[in-house]
Amino acid sequence: MDFGSILNALILGISIASIWLIAALGLTIIYGAAGVINMAHGEFIMLGAYSSYMLQYYVGVPYLFCIPISFVIVALVGLVLERGLIQYLYKRPLDTLLATYGVSLVLMQGVRLIFGSDPKYLAVPEIFSSNLSLGFVSISTFRVIVFGITALLVLALWALFYKTRFGVQVRAVMQNKEMAASFGINSSRIYMLTFALGAGLAGVAGSLFGVLNIVLPTMGSSYVVQAFLMVVVGGGSLAGSVVASGVTGELQSVFAFFTNDTFARFVIFVLIVVFLRFRPQGLFAQAGARR
Amino acid sequence: MGNLYHNKTAQWVAYAAFFAALAAIPLNIDDDFLLNQLATYGVYGMLALSISLCWGFGGILNLGQGIAFGLGAYGMAMTMQMQTQTESNPIPPFMLNNSLDYLPLLWQPFQSTMLGLILAVAVPTLFCAIFGGIMFRARVSGPFFAIMTLAMLSAFYTIILDRQPYTGGVNGITPPSPFQFAGIEVDPYSPLAYWCVFFALLIAAVLAKLITQSWFGLVTQAIRDDAERVRFLGYSVAGYETMIYTVAGLIASVAGCLWVMLVQYVSPAQLDVGFSLSMVIWAAIGGRLSLIGSIVGAFVIQGAQSYLGDTFLSTWLLILGAFFIVIVRFLPNGLSSLLEAALGLLSTRKNGASPEQSNGTKPVPAE
Amino acid sequence: MDFTRRKLLKTAGLASAALAAPHLWIPGEAWGAALKKGEPLKVGLLFSLTGALAVPEEDSTLVLQYAFDEINKAGGVGGVPVEPVIVDAKSDFNVYSEKTKELILREKVTAIFGCYTSASRKAILPTVMQRDHLLYYPTCYEGAECTQNTICTGPLANQHSKDLIPFMVQNFGKKVFFVGSNYVWPKESNKNAKIWLQQAGGELLGEEYIPLGSSEFGPVLNKIRDAKPNFIFSTVVGASDIAFHKQFKQEGFKVDSMPIASLTTGEIETRAMGAEFGAGHFLSAPYFQTLDNPTNQKFVEGFLKSKYGKNGTTHYNMEETYLSAYVFKAGFEKAAAAVGFENVTPRAIRDNSGGIRIEDNVSPEGLVWIDENNFNTWLKPKIGQCQADGTFKVVKAASEQVAPDPYSIYPDAGVCTKEGLKAPDGKVRKSVI
Repeated sequence: MDFGSILNALILGISIASIWLIAALGLTIIYGAAGVINMAHGEFIMLGAYSSYMLQYYVGVPYLFCIPISFVIVALVGLVLERGLIQYLYKRPLDTLLATYGVSLVLMQGVRLIFGSDPKYLAVPEIFSSNLSLGFVSISTFRVIVFGITALLVLALWALFYKTRFGVQVRAVMQNKEMAASFGINSSRIYMLTFALGAGLAGVAGSLFGVLNIVLPTMGSSYVVQAFLMVVVGGGSLAGSVVASGVTGELQSVFAFFTNDTFARFVIFVLIVVFLRFRPQGLFAQAGARR
Repeated sequence: MGNLYHNKTAQWVAYAAFFAALAAIPLNIDDDFLLNQLATYGVYGMLALSISLCWGFGGILNLGQGIAFGLGAYGMAMTMQMQTQTESNPIPPFMLNNSLDYLPLLWQPFQSTMLGLILAVAVPTLFCAIFGGIMFRARVSGPFFAIMTLAMLSAFYTIILDRQPYTGGVNGITPPSPFQFAGIEVDPYSPLAYWCVFFALLIAAVLAKLITQSWFGLVTQAIRDDAERVRFLGYSVAGYETMIYTVAGLIASVAGCLWVMLVQYVSPAQLDVGFSLSMVIWAAIGGRLSLIGSIVGAFVIQGAQSYLGDTFLSTWLLILGAFFIVIVRFLPNGLSSLLEAALGLLSTRKNGASPEQSNGTKPVPAE
Repeated sequence: MDFTRRKLLKTAGLASAALAAPHLWIPGEAWGAALKKGEPLKVGLLFSLTGALAVPEEDSTLVLQYAFDEINKAGGVGGVPVEPVIVDAKSDFNVYSEKTKELILREKVTAIFGCYTSASRKAILPTVMQRDHLLYYPTCYEGAECTQNTICTGPLANQHSKDLIPFMVQNFGKKVFFVGSNYVWPKESNKNAKIWLQQAGGELLGEEYIPLGSSEFGPVLNKIRDAKPNFIFSTVVGASDIAFHKQFKQEGFKVDSMPIASLTTGEIETRAMGAEFGAGHFLSAPYFQTLDNPTNQKFVEGFLKSKYGKNGTTHYNMEETYLSAYVFKAGFEKAAAAVGFENVTPRAIRDNSGGIRIEDNVSPEGLVWIDENNFNTWLKPKIGQCQADGTFKVVKAASEQVAPDPYSIYPDAGVCTKEGLKAPDGKVRKSVI
């Protein structure tokens, strides 16, 4: 065990954190703004991967353009879902959890019917299939890209929530829906837009995961529990999710370095449960009346 | 006369009719497969019942009921595995493959069938009491608690997979012979196995029903409707929540034992997130506010999967998912609320008016 | 329903009979399907057509239907046609168990062909053994099992890597790193591989296991980068395997200097990951689509042209499954000759299957035969290198068939014989799983 290996493990931790964070971003927005536990989030990620696959395979769009188009496609799916189902369930948070689980079953099986259950793959430019090395530090180019996109999205979201009129409205609705309504903010519209935004972010995550991994109808389910934990530990705020992913990603990488991957996961799960025992509201709890 | 649906006597009559129908099956049908299949559904019915008790009456959505079920199942499988080991051959074969040449401490109590059975039920129940106690005292509730149970479930799933020498890893434990108790071998296809499940389901259902009708049950339902108010009235909300969660866990762990008796097999798949969620689906479709409705929900959904699944193949999950969404959206209290509405209509028509007039002074618990 | 006193008494009587008799059912009688000449022979195909396991298992169902069509066209089995009963196990071990019961108790099939994973096999074996039935398990597994009710047509752990490890050591160097999915088969395979490695004079630098279905290979690849092995021996399965190969390349590893020698990365996997990620790596398997012999050419052409060939490729798992149909045909006919057509039971088929040879005019991988003691298959493992188009080029083939030995690394456990596991103390134990 030398300095280089540990440094590599730490750098990898940042990369793992960025993967967890980008999977959790959309969920954070949706949970934070509307209090909806979206069990179909993993399937939104899967839809993002399949959208990119479709664009690439049938239309021939270059990979980098697939990412924003996937955002739009999955955001539209999210919009339709919000208008057709979720908007009727805002007062019943447990039921949104269940209904969205039903949605996840339908989406997964629907995709399977259309595309078959054999795995697909996303082709990327040759330059992404290599690594960067500097002394004894080495990391793949694509991980750097994932990290870059995640950082960019976090910045953009921060700007959106804290620097725009829309952001002020969202935060107003989060804190007190009735009060916001009395100031003329259409909360139904705000919920709809944040839900679509969250879904779109999952779409971006999907088109990135399709490259790291494999495109399968079931690919989303492995991310969803982890993503939830990031949101819950973070307390539903953007900053909370960033910190939660950062810490758990590093812990995962370091534990995996010293023990093995499976055991590392177990330790993380247990640590999260213990943490929430002492801080059930999460790292950065939001001001707000929601229970 | 109010809505017949809320009439306690009528409810008990419905229970009697349901269990009489289940009891009539082995008397009239001689089909090993059907008996075994129905017994398995009976186990699923117990799980749905436990969800209904915890979620419908206690307001605690538990997405990790697989923990209690799985731990119970593992305990039972270990007991059955040790029954097939002899003195000359004391170690289960899968351990040899994992280079264990002694029986681990974890397994030693299971050499005794009695002790094994007690542990199989006590360990998961105790876990629920401790985990529930910790969580509820920290006032974790609602969706948050649901997510925590999910995390705990994933943790157990991961650790059982990883500790292969003790648990058999992903292959699980496969006791080669049926369960033996007091010199009797419980052939999983025999009416005897069916009766075991039948009586366990009967006892669990009656027990749960009595709980919901008791003072304790009334308080838990009040907590479900508004925990803060009950807390202000001076009740220990966490205590009541822990209690109902633990009772549900107890029922699920017994279900786990019976399940292994029927299939002679356990693996981490029993702690899979999807399986725990399907328990919730059974209860939700059958009606979480009705204990017997949840049991019927499990029978109907699993029966449909067995008998229609092969016809619809890939579209089956699509249909199930869509059906589930429709239920949650339009019938949050499940199919049994349809019956409630229908009977309600009937009674209002009979009495002309005054639907709010009920037959007692005490509020009748929803069922 | 009528609750007469007599009926209740009858049930009570039955229940007490059940209490009294330790074994309520009697073998043979329990199976209860008297075969009739002229009626089709039912066999069960127990694979997942939906869910995560559907990718390999749907192919198994298709190839078996193809094989039985072929057999039926040539006159059937023992003079009667075979009728496959196809069920969907939904990639759910609970459903595997339920469907097995349905096939045995309700459909009364003569044999079951099924499963792709050890976990599903373990889930159904209690039922199969208890009913003294017969399972054809048509793919590779770890061994360490000795039942009287299974016949396996895939390679055991002791056959699988026997040539691969020395070949890699010779061609790439002594130092190796083991990576596997975290479950029984990879761990057992690695134990065998260590023996071959020691014999070849190689050196094991590390051994890592990844959670099943995981797609994060960063930590493992970092460990490999530090260890600098000459090659990697991989028993990673399924979707993880594809993620592993992709991240291997993305992390800058070079296939020429550190190839992956795998037991699983076949034609389906390379197609799914894209051939550029698979090219150059090695696979040990008894069969490749590109095997150059007339039987295989006929098999590949015939299958791909048939209505079952929609997925466009053949691979080792399919071929092993295809063979199992012919092993069944030969076993049934041998049993029928021995005990008479009407008296054939699943157990009789199994007892008569020892020594059955599938000649190279039927078997696309060349001559194989069933071991007389442990009922696994003698076969020739071959080493293929993945080409730029995703097909495999055979670079080495075993000169003769390798014997299957389910207990090769556990000599203390005993030897698997026809009657059961014979321990060193002479005791024979049945149904050891």
